[in-house]
Formats: sequence, C-alpha cells, structure tokens
Amino acid sequence: MTESVFRETTAEPRTQSVPLAHLSVELGHLYMEDFEAGPERLRAHFTEVRPWVEAARAAATARAGGKRARVSTCFLIDDYFTRFSTPAEVVPTLLAEAERAGLTIDYLARESGCAVTGKIPVAESVAARIVESPPPGSHGLRPPAAQTGWLANGERSPVARAPQAMKRAVGWQPPHETAARRHSVFLDVELWSDDDGDRTWSCPFLAAVWQLARLGLLRNEGEAVLTPQPHTATAGFPDRWDDLPTLLKLNDRADPFAAYRTCSVLPTRFLPVEHAVRVILDQIEVDPGALAQVADRSGKERTAVPDSVADRISYVYYAGL
Amino acid sequence: MAPRQSTPRTALSCGEVRTSLLPARQALDIRSAAGLLALRADERVLLSERPGLYARSPATLTGVDCPLPSANGARVRAVGTVTAHAALTEGRVLQTSAHCSLPATGPDQRRPWGEYLVRPGVVEPLGKLPHEAVARGVLDGPRRGDLDVGLIADGLLTRLLRHPLLDQRPPFRSRPTRLRWAALPAAPGEGPSLERFTLAEDELRTVRLRVPEDTAAADLAALCNDLALHDWLLTNVVRMLDGIRLGAPSAEDPGAAVRALRPAVDHLLHLWMPGARVTRELAALWGPLEERPGFTRQWQAMVQRIRDQLTLHTVQAVHREAEPAP
Amino acid sequence: MLVFAASDKGGTGRSVTSANLAYQRALTGDHVAYVDFDFGSPTAAAVFDVPGAMRGVEERGLHSYLEGESAEPVRIDVWRQTEHPLLRSRPNQSGRLVLFPGDIGGGEFATGDEALERCVDLLLRLNTEFDVTFVDLSAGRSYAVDMVLAATAHPRMRNLPFRWLIFHRWTRQHVIAASGLVHAEHGIIGSGIERGHDEDALRAAIRFVRAAVPDPEAPLGPQGSTAQATWMQARDEALRRLAAEYRIGDSVVLGIVPLEPILQWHEQLITEDDVLSTQIANKETLDALEEIARRLTDDTHWGRL
Repeated sequence: MTESVFRETTAEPRTQSVPLAHLSVELGHLYMEDFEAGPERLRAHFTEVRPWVEAARAAATARAGGKRARVSTCFLIDDYFTRFSTPAEVVPTLLAEAERAGLTIDYLARESGCAVTGKIPVAESVAARIVESPPPGSHGLRPPAAQTGWLANGERSPVARAPQAMKRAVGWQPPHETAARRHSVFLDVELWSDDDGDRTWSCPFLAAVWQLARLGLLRNEGEAVLTPQPHTATAGFPDRWDDLPTLLKLNDRADPFAAYRTCSVLPTRFLPVEHAVRVILDQIEVDPGALAQVADRSGKERTAVPDSVADRISYVYYAGL
Repeated sequence: MAPRQSTPRTALSCGEVRTSLLPARQALDIRSAAGLLALRADERVLLSERPGLYARSPATLTGVDCPLPSANGARVRAVGTVTAHAALTEGRVLQTSAHCSLPATGPDQRRPWGEYLVRPGVVEPLGKLPHEAVARGVLDGPRRGDLDVGLIADGLLTRLLRHPLLDQRPPFRSRPTRLRWAALPAAPGEGPSLERFTLAEDELRTVRLRVPEDTAAADLAALCNDLALHDWLLTNVVRMLDGIRLGAPSAEDPGAAVRALRPAVDHLLHLWMPGARVTRELAALWGPLEERPGFTRQWQAMVQRIRDQLTLHTVQAVHREAEPAP
Repeated sequence: MLVFAASDKGGTGRSVTSANLAYQRALTGDHVAYVDFDFGSPTAAAVFDVPGAMRGVEERGLHSYLEGESAEPVRIDVWRQTEHPLLRSRPNQSGRLVLFPGDIGGGEFATGDEALERCVDLLLRLNTEFDVTFVDLSAGRSYAVDMVLAATAHPRMRNLPFRWLIFHRWTRQHVIAASGLVHAEHGIIGSGIERGHDEDALRAAIRFVRAAVPDPEAPLGPQGSTAQATWMQARDEALRRLAAEYRIGDSVVLGIVPLEPILQWHEQLITEDDVLSTQIANKETLDALEEIARRLTDDTHWGRL
C-alpha cells in the first residue's frame, strides 16, 4: 500500500524500545528479617547463590550458540511492606557481601518501584491488563465468577447461595484448575487488599510486575517504565529510601537490565509466591508493541524466546536458610 | 531455528459493531473524548482531527472458550481472545466493536492461557475450522452458549455508558444499530470484495466479505466501523424524516417539522465521510454500495430534502409575519 | 419520559390500561417502549396479542437480563408480531411500539446492587431510543417498585424525567389501599425518600387513575330503578369524600376510565374500530384513554398542588 502523505502523531500508536540482554539473573530479595539477621545471613545466601549464577550464565551462553551472552544481575530490596534502616547503611553491606562471594550486583531495585515509579502507577496499570483465563463455556458474556482483587488458575468452588424455596441446597463442589491434567492444583491469588482506600499490593503481584520489568515488557503510554538510573560512586547512598532511584545501575559496564529471559535464585520458601507469580503472568496481556519488539530483536539475533511470557522466567531454589 | 511460531494463516475474521448516539446534551470535545475512552491508564487514546474529530480507545481483550456458531450444526470448540475497542466520531456517535480472527486449524487440546494472550484477537479452533459454515453461523446469529462477539461489544458499550462524563440527555431519540461481519479468504490473486450487505430485522445489518489472506483484522474492523457509522447515519436521518408530517404546517404547531429536523442539522449532517479512516485497498469496497443502492446518493437526497423543508418553513414564517393582522 | 404503572391490588386493570395508554401514545407518533416488570404474572403480551410471549419468553427476558444471565433483554415489535388484525398493519404515522417481556416462571426475586445497575442501564438506554417508556410494576409494594424507586434516585438517572400512575378501582377498599401504597409509612413516597428522592418532587410526579368506574348517572340497564341510581350517586359522593380524606382526591387524579364491559371479558387494546365499526366498545372508554395518554406529558396536569 502506498503510504499516505498526511500523518497525525496523536493518531498513531508508538512504543519505545528498551535495550535487551539475553538473561537477567536475580541474586536475591532482601527483607527486613534478612537484614536484621546480620551480614552472616547475606554471606550465607550469596555463597549458596554463586554456583547457580555460573550455571545460569553457562546455559545462556549455550543458548546463544556459544557467542558471548549478555547477562545482567539484579537485586531487589523490600522497602514496600516494611521500611527498615537506610540505603546508606544497607547498600554498602549488601555490595560488600556480594563481592566477597565473587558476585557483582549490576542493578539494584526498590520493591516500591513496582507499585509506583515517579508518577506512574505501575502496579495499577498491570492489574488493568489482566485478562482472566476463561473457563470452558465462556462465550462472551461477562464472566460471572470474577472476584475483585483475586486471580485464580481455574474455577472456584461455587458459592452456596441461599437456596430458593422448594430447592435443595447443593453440596460442596471442588474448584477446578483450567489447565489440569486429570487432577487439579488449584491456586487463588490475592492481588491486593484495600484498607480505608489505601491499596496494598500483594507480594506475588509486585513480584509479577518485577518480572515484567526484567523482561522489558512494561510500558506507560508507550514509554518504557523502570528504566535504570546511573549511580556515581562518589555520591554514596542516601539516608532515605525515597531518595534512592527505584532502579539503580551500579555497574557501568553491565549488560542491559531487561532481558529475553529471567532467572531468579531464591531460597525454597519463595516457592509458593513464585507459583502465584506464574499464575498472574499467565493472565496478563502485556503491551503488544513491547512484545513485538522482543520478538523482532530475538528473531534477528536468532535467539529463541518462548511465546508465553510465563515461560520466559525460570528459578533456582536452594534449600535451607 | 524458528524463534517464534509463525501465526497460522487466518481462515475467517468476524466481528460486530454497535453504533449509537452519545447520550450527552453537548458533543464531547477531543479532551473529554479522550477521558471517556481511556479504558486503560497506561495506554493512550488515539486522537485524530482530520478529516474530522475522531477518538479511539485502546483495545481490550476478553477470553473465550466455547463452541463456534455454525450453520451446519458442527460444534467446534475454540479458545482465545476477542479484541474490543470503542470509537467516538465528532464527539457524537459512539461505536463499540469486537472482533477476532480464526486460523484454519488449531491444536487438539487447549494450550496454556499465556500462549493465547501473546496473540491478541486470535481465537483458535480445537482441530479444523469449517470456516464457511462458521461464517454463515456468525452472520445468522449465534445460539445461546456459542461464541458471541456482539456480547463483548455490548459489554464495552454498557461500561462506557456508565461513565460520569455523560449527562444522559441525548439531544434527540435515535436508533442504535448492530452490524455483524464475517470475512473469508479471497481466491488467490483476487483483491478484497464485498459479497453482501444485508439490512436484516430491526437494527441488525450483516456484511460478508472476501479478503486476501494478509489483510489485517484491525483494518477490516476499521472498514466495518466505517460502514456501520454511515449506515447508522442513514437509518437515523430516514427515521427523522419519517416522523414529520409533510405539507402545510398544522395550524396549532407550525414549528413541529423544524423541531424534528433541526437535530439532523445540529448533530448529523456534517458526519458523512465514507472511507475516511479505511486503508486504501479496503476503501475500494465502498464502490459497489455507492453504485447500488447508492449510500451517498440517498444521503445527499435526504440532506437536500431537510434543507428544502427548513427553507420552506422559513419562507412561510416570514410570510405569516408579513400578513396584516385580521 | 418514564411512566411507572403501579397498583396496590391485582385486578385494578393496571396492565390493560397502561398497555392501552402505550398504544395511544404510539398512535400519536411517539416511539413507545412497554417494559413488563410485573414479575410473577406478566400479562402485557396477552393485551398486545403477541402469542409467542403470552406468559413471558423462554429465555433472555427481563429476569435473565436483570440477573446478568443475558446481555440484552428480548424485544418484541408489537406492530410486526401481534396477531391482532388491526394492529398488524401499523397505523400510518404511528411510532414504534416495542414490548420487553419477562421470562416464563420468572417470579419475584431479591434484587442486588448489580441488578439495580443493570436496571438503570436499561432505562437509560430506552430513554435514548423511545419518547415514552411505560414500566408495568407488580402489584403492591413489590421488589419491582423498590427497584425502580432506587433506580430513579440513582445519580446516573438525574436527568431522566419520570411519572407515576397509581391505578385503583372505585370502591372503598381500593381507595384505601391505593392511598396506602403511596402515603403509608413504607409507601412509595416514604421508601422514595429513604432512597434519596426529594419528597415534593416525588409527590408532584404521582397521579392516580380510577379504573372500571361505573357511571352513577347511567341506570344499570333497562331494569335499573330510580332507587338504584340514587343509591349509586350517594355512594359515588361518599367515595369522593373518602378519596379526598385519603389524599387521593380529584386534584391528583389524571383520569377516570369508565367501566368497560369488553375489558371485563377480555384484556385487550381498545381500537377505534372497536368503537366505530364493530361497536363492541364504548366511545367514552376510548375518549378517556386518549385523554389520559395526552395528559401524561401535559405539564398542567402535573406538579405540586
């Protein structure tokens, strides 16, 4: 088709692209209790993580066909559910313990940045992109069973409604996982809770946002969200979490933050949360422009990226701690 | 190495458009239109000012897993997402439209949901798609429980009509319309064609198309929105002219005809622009409709008639004033 | 405009009269919707002679719509689907006349917030399409009455004008009952105020229609005696005093429908043909219906007194 001469920029969609690595490796989450347990806890954690990071790097290189794979590392600090200590105190300790274990943290993120970054309500936007998996029989009428603030991987047990006169109450019926293979593993995830108008996003929901950020799939009106801010070594770290950029680039020579795939190395206790993250990611319609950019670039690089967003993330769980 | 499965070829696209008058006393300006259509916080409303004010919402997806309608009774299950969006023309005519594309074949079992979400607007059959029978089924109207994209367009309309920007004071009574469409593949080498445009019962219209395989479903939806908009204009102006008693104005209410016709002048007559937002290839499909019955011909005849009526009434009013009082 | 048709008791001729009013409005060129919220005993289809929906429709009726089981309620174009021979040839210059039937076996049901929102959606959509929408409500202080009181108090409905017609027969019991429906503690005005209506505005939008009223001047056939006539005039006078005492006196009456024998036999529309050529109906009945239909939108008959 011949291009039209006349154009209106407000009439055309556009999507900003972000640089992409092959793999984003998450070296851990830091919660208040971890920090309170002292630097020994961090040391033990990084010691456990180290070999798996090497393995992930090797796997990425193999997938890249033996060429150098672009791999970046990141670390997430919880400043959303509990506020503890200060960046000036926490970050240097964290970096020192990582270095001691032979690890480099390329990017440091604050969890509250997954809820709101600057003026952008990131979590709210992602929540508005949920397209619930339709149970069989969904033909276009609004889904009757939608439960505000919850997301399941199947159909919930029917609620026992007050029986009408002359009708018998129905007994319990099991919930059903839509993608069940014969038997169900039904999961219902709380996405947020509202308390007097204040919405608190759940840990799995923010973790899902975090995964989308690492996959380079978050956009706001076409613009990239959670872009890394450079850190100058001389500046040190602030005394208030709010003064720390939501995503900080600590290593000048690091590969891009966002990547085709992600791998998180975590203690096993995170397993239920990360199961929930998969259930959420499996039902989020990510920005089609961002999706197309990833497909396009990976195609040019001849790097396979799974279609399904939930299949682009992977985990290594280690025992104990 | 194939990094990404290529999307299988489309054997059928179908959709439904609801067109109605925006229930607000004043037409919305472009900023209010953007407010009404901001279905998502993180996506812009597309705004256009040439050749007329036009705003289009971001697309929303609805998941479906149900049998497809079919004329021969085959119950083919299909899974995927239906795309829906809303558009507002000149701040006055509201359209919601839902559509999907169906590939010729699909897997034997339902895939993980995330795999459907990366192909928005595609509904995949389980097994082979009897596309001719399904196309007829879509146009005849789905049975209860079959895929019904009209319900999705209607759901979006309901959501928009609840918006606080609307004062629910429509400037005149109007008739909403529905336009259902289905597009089958054209023979190899053939361009797009409009096989049939039917005015069915009441407010229902059906459109049957043949299009080359690489025609984007979004472009088809744009064409059908355009057809629906202009058909709605014809329907409603015809209705307005039907409602007035012609001839000399009745003694008790000489202004009745003026009152009945004025909304057309105020709100509708400037909206006629067939093909303005349609790709060049598809805009050619307006040709046969212009030839017979001649949409624009009918429109121009009605516009002329409305203007003549209003002129006559002006002349009569002046005449009455000039008459000496008895 | 919305017109709600209510009555305290069954057998007041509410449905048949409001259907006749809808028909009269359509004849004058208005586009008219008739919404059958008479949950439990839908009768409108019978009056309009639409055989497919005599006791409601199998699916997608108003109950399914309000409960969210269907997106749009079924609509029946009366001119096209009626079996009434005169109605089928849509009278020249008439407006559309569309019936929204209930479901078969729908019955009364508890309404929730979502049903209320859907009710508001429906009434607002009808308002964009029809000049007048008649809503026939189940007798008594029913869920249907509660729902439309809540709907008309809803912020989205603030610009939609509505009027109430309360139908009652011309007997002592019916006069007292009709007054109770409106004025009693939990009557239409009381419940309306609870739901956010302005008392004066609501009062100003309520009028009464006395149905099946015998003519006290007319003797009851050839056997009628002077004594009977005198007695009837006295009763009529007493009833007027009673009505005034119960705040439903002549000043709030929109019209009086005379006792019409054919309506006692068969609930149907009264057409000009019934009066002029077959002469099975009385001209006074038709005149009364035409006049009430006209007064529905004549502001001099409404407002505060």
